[in-house]
Amino acid sequence: MLRADERSTTEWLQHLSALPGTPGHERAAAREVEKAFSLYADRVERDRVGNVRAWIDGVGAPPRPRALLAAHMDRIGFLVKAVEPGGYLRLTELGGFDPRTLLGKEVVIHSKPPIAAVFGTRPPHLQKPGESERVLPVEELYLDSGRPEREVRRKVPVGTPVTLRQPPVSLLGGRIAAPAMDDRAGLVVLLRTLETLRQNRPAWDVIAVATVEEEFAAVCLGAKTATESLDPQLGIAIDVSHGDMPGAREGETVPLGGGPSLCVGGNIHPKVVEGLRSSARALGMTVQIEGCPMGSSTDAMDIQIAREGVPTAVIGIPCRYMHTGIETVEPRDVDHCAHLLAHYLGALPEEWRATEVLK
Amino acid sequence: MKSLAGSVDDLLPSLLSAFGPPGRESGVRAVLRRALRGLGRVTEDATGNLHLHRPGKGPRLLVAAPMDAPGVIVTRVDATGLARVAILGNRSPAELVGAALRFEDDARGILGCDRPKSGKNGTEMEADQLFLETGLGPKEANRRFRVGSVGAIEDRPIRLGDLWCASNLDNRAGCAAVVAALRAAGSPRYDLHVIFSAQSDAGARGAVTGAFGVDPEAAVVVDVAHVDPKETGGAAVGKGPCLGLKESGFLAHPEALALVKRAAAGAGVSTQWLIRESEGSDARAIRAARTGVPTALVAIPARRSGGPVSFVHARDIAQTASLMARLLTTPPKSKGGRR
Amino acid sequence: MSRDAGPPFEERFLETFSNAVGVSGGEETVRAAVVEAIQDHVDSLEVDAMGSLVARIAATGRRRGPHVMLCAHMDEVGVMVTGIESDGRLRFRKVGGIDSRILVGQVFRIGKNGLRGVAGTLPPHLISRADRDKVAAIEDLYLDIGAKSREEAQGRVAVGDYATFDTTYERWGDTRKGKAFDDRAGCAVLASVVLRRPPVPVTAVWSVQEEVGLRGAAGAARRVAPDLAVVLEGTASGEAPGLAPEESAPLMGAGPALTVQDRSLMADARLVDLIERTARRRKIPTQWKRPGVGGTDAGRIALSGAGVPAAVISVPCRYIHAPAAYLDIRDARRTVALVWHLLHSLTKEWP
Repeated sequence: MLRADERSTTEWLQHLSALPGTPGHERAAAREVEKAFSLYADRVERDRVGNVRAWIDGVGAPPRPRALLAAHMDRIGFLVKAVEPGGYLRLTELGGFDPRTLLGKEVVIHSKPPIAAVFGTRPPHLQKPGESERVLPVEELYLDSGRPEREVRRKVPVGTPVTLRQPPVSLLGGRIAAPAMDDRAGLVVLLRTLETLRQNRPAWDVIAVATVEEEFAAVCLGAKTATESLDPQLGIAIDVSHGDMPGAREGETVPLGGGPSLCVGGNIHPKVVEGLRSSARALGMTVQIEGCPMGSSTDAMDIQIAREGVPTAVIGIPCRYMHTGIETVEPRDVDHCAHLLAHYLGALPEEWRATEVLK
Repeated sequence: MKSLAGSVDDLLPSLLSAFGPPGRESGVRAVLRRALRGLGRVTEDATGNLHLHRPGKGPRLLVAAPMDAPGVIVTRVDATGLARVAILGNRSPAELVGAALRFEDDARGILGCDRPKSGKNGTEMEADQLFLETGLGPKEANRRFRVGSVGAIEDRPIRLGDLWCASNLDNRAGCAAVVAALRAAGSPRYDLHVIFSAQSDAGARGAVTGAFGVDPEAAVVVDVAHVDPKETGGAAVGKGPCLGLKESGFLAHPEALALVKRAAAGAGVSTQWLIRESEGSDARAIRAARTGVPTALVAIPARRSGGPVSFVHARDIAQTASLMARLLTTPPKSKGGRR
Repeated sequence: MSRDAGPPFEERFLETFSNAVGVSGGEETVRAAVVEAIQDHVDSLEVDAMGSLVARIAATGRRRGPHVMLCAHMDEVGVMVTGIESDGRLRFRKVGGIDSRILVGQVFRIGKNGLRGVAGTLPPHLISRADRDKVAAIEDLYLDIGAKSREEAQGRVAVGDYATFDTTYERWGDTRKGKAFDDRAGCAVLASVVLRRPPVPVTAVWSVQEEVGLRGAAGAARRVAPDLAVVLEGTASGEAPGLAPEESAPLMGAGPALTVQDRSLMADARLVDLIERTARRRKIPTQWKRPGVGGTDAGRIALSGAGVPAAVISVPCRYIHAPAAYLDIRDARRTVALVWHLLHSLTKEWP
């Protein structure tokens, strides 16, 4: 078995995407994330809301400016809302699944010990006419664990988290499909970035944060509170971007294998994205530009407006079939994102500031 | 010493009838100031929150109970002297048909609607279909009800057995429970801050600024939640305080939840779980304050009537007070995590 | 109380600011125009982390308080180029709230060079009767700049470029027509006010990204930490044919509109009362904005830190968030006067 620090990007993607950790229950993944970050970071800590923070101390003269890197630790899932006669379980959503993709899928109920179950469906033979034309919302779905009701009631309290159960699938071209690439692929980018920065320390302090509750509420809890606490001079979120597929219009997706995607728009500080593009040119790396007219819908939204305002940018990992059990990424894209990020951070001059005094 | 239930029964009527729509909570603030005499240092902040500080050794704990209750704001007065309103707070227009309203200068009115309740094409009724009958002619109505006049539901609470039936139980019942708990709790084991929050029903606004000002290490929100036992996993009135697991924008922090569960067990109070999809409370604002606050929600269950009044069981209020009194006087276990 | 009438409203600011391009997230040109207008009249000037302009002005007589934040937003609603088709057409998306029905057939100015593009779709002759009654979704629209290929288009525009309505400022009688009066009217009012040293310490903020979630005001308010705040807006008048008078408020020409409550804010009652009494004393006509409608930076500022008392004073405009808006120049003048006299009222009557 490989040592942890010898794992390939593909293996890290497989390992981290398999961890549980729905919004509010990220502690189920936090231990493993801490262990991973500890391979390269100077120190790793957990904060009050459950973010995992990993520090790389910079080599510039103190007081050094700080860069906050954010990838969210939570993955979408469900909570058990009720147990019904017959032992069927009703659910409430944590984050937005595509309900069209849930029927018939296997899940893990994270009780102690975990229990497998399936989203129940009626076979076509028994359906009423037109029944299969209708997408069922989450309130009408139910889980069947194949166990008697009293066992279910005993073992599965209300509020138990549930996640999709789908082992990672290797597709052609090195591509890999699994639940939770959103945003465990982002955590792998952070990890690879820490690895490079550890060997090649930047002037700035860099804090990589695995954030909590990005998927759940209008405000990204982990991103906002980490920014309040760390007071960074720069914030970069690493999340997934919609990967190319037929039927999408020009500008709605980015190609898998096309390298990192950089957002432009109000949520992005022009100097930061210009710096990232400059680093990409220096590396001879292709990047995609993604227009985000109404914001990036990532942790960067809440990093940017915290405290007195923070310059932010977003690096997107191309990912097909977002918010399903078969989120598909290319490990090469993940590596390129890390490579780009490390280069940009290494090139940041100590005196760089986002505010400008005119008078 | 008065029992908790007795305390609540004394406090509730004056709280229910106090004027306090979101943003105009002066009436209920005055009632609360009187009720809080001798319990600690009371101040008011820029958003209208009422703060009580009871210094003590121990972690800084915030207990928050919204004090505003939904009301209306006049949007215009038409040529016949009928006023049109927008709703302040979280009530549907259909629920307010027939409500008696009292305005800041004591002017009165009754809300009617001028189309069938189901609206056109059977859709949801809109606030614009409500009218305020003031009994005044156009000139007088324009004089007394200007654009921006704010009105509260004039509450006439009724007690049917153990059931309170009133329009402003959400969240005056929560306020009563907290005041009763404060009176019953001798020396809290915390550096205790209590906020009776303003503009909660307008999006947890008072909670945002209040929690920023206090910067607590943990928080418990005491609110009223409307429940429907017919819904899957729905809680029921009369079966005890609800502990919030999930609601709009809020997931219970495990340590804060443990604190509340321990207090319930210690007080011998049986509780229910609360999961709600589209409604929320101050908890979502407080949990995100500053560097993050482990927050729990204790909600008194209530049932809707379809009209202005809601139903709350007196015992649920007393049990909530009992749980909170126990929480305040139980020393905390360790809490982890950097700030 | 101030005996003088206060600084005049500088219409040249309104014209320059209105013609300048500044969609939410791309406010640089407007910011440069504001800097040029006010830099000689303020004590300090900086651009914050999100791009908002923050100007501090000490009071006459070195008075220390109350510290007032006056705020207007520089950004306007518009669109962003999000894709370039192989045949040179541009895909675009809204920035801020725009009624989709005004997009079709509209001329836009795109990017830093103001390249013209037209928002086209199939003409009536070529679509079915049923489709003629449907509102085109923005995903189905495109901007035509005349390019015949992606390569040709890429030479002139890029993904991320902003585009605004191609409208030019005009005047007749008391009416002024232009784009983006929401909120270049407020920007011009604010710039006019700061040309004279105020009686209380003022921090003037021209904020960014109001139209996409009141975003710039958040960091700015935290930085400024004022004792109170007044936001200056260009707000929707209620007028349209067939409406009863009470349905039409606020009216163009009837004076600045005061907010009691909107979807973002319960205006501070004492501050609103002071504004109203000041207006009455100085015989400035005012009207009430319809409660429950819209939201402004004041909602964000009021919730900053431990809370800030906030209010909104607006110039009523017809057809905001559309290519050509109207306002009455007298309302702009009255708003400057009201703000000026309010600052004087604050020396005597706050807190």
